[in-house]
Amino acid sequence: MNKFGKLEILWITLISITLFNTNLGENFNSTLIVSTIIALTTMFKGMMIIDHFMELKEGNKILRWMMRGYFFVFPMLIIVTMFM
Amino acid sequence: MTNTQANKSLGIFPVSWSEKRAGRIPGNIPIWVGILSELTEFGIFFVAYFVAKINYPEIFAEGPKQLNTFIGISNTLVLLTSSYFMAKAMCHIRRDEFKKCERFLWLTFFAACTYLCLKTWEFSWNDAQNIHTNTSQFFTVYYYMTFNHFLHVGWAACAILWVIFRLRKGTYNSKEHSGLEALAVYWHMIDLMWILIFPLLYVLR
Repeated sequence: MNKFGKLEILWITLISITLFNTNLGENFNSTLIVSTIIALTTMFKGMMIIDHFMELKEGNKILRWMMRGYFFVFPMLIIVTMFM
Repeated sequence: MTNTQANKSLGIFPVSWSEKRAGRIPGNIPIWVGILSELTEFGIFFVAYFVAKINYPEIFAEGPKQLNTFIGISNTLVLLTSSYFMAKAMCHIRRDEFKKCERFLWLTFFAACTYLCLKTWEFSWNDAQNIHTNTSQFFTVYYYMTFNHFLHVGWAACAILWVIFRLRKGTYNSKEHSGLEALAVYWHMIDLMWILIFPLLYVLR
């Protein structure tokens, strides 16, 4: 995270996704498509924080995959519950 | 280094399992034990949420509509911004820019205080709307998750003050700042948990 500007771009991206998701949730019912978009964008936000803010991209592989696994499983459950 | 030589972070792990082979551990091993424990705790809450949602779909569809979305989204923006401030603090300590590092740590602390104030306002607003822990299954899960997260932000905010105190005493520099980095990864974990909590409780209907 030493390159100037990278943190700022990441922060703006995370804020934009959050606003987009909230707008989606406020204006549309949680259909399969809406829930899938929200789940995938939540997953993406988590991965960005794990890789760049927590600096696990070049860090310990075990920790990185445990964290990424966590942020794969729980957002995926959003989609899975739509079928139940 | 030989295989019997211990990992410098904790002193109990052999080199074959160490940073040299598996990659650098941000912060230190003890903080990761804590983080993984916290993730397990929140994981149980998330499983409880999904089980309850499957059993009471109508209640979980109606619940988020009764919440104050404005406060929810404000808290999300505040926490994301606090994570950015914390990452900036890490950048500055690596360049031995102590004043800038301290400034960003204070900004993170104020963001934490803003979150705590907003959350207190939200709980008070809920109370005024006659929303309590036993209002419905959704709100039982909501209070379990959000109050637990509130406590985590509270004690992590106290840890920020401790790290600022240590920074002022000259404990951290570009070569040794594992204590500051441990706080940073813990803080990002708290942010991560909110990133999952927010869509589950406020967005999905």
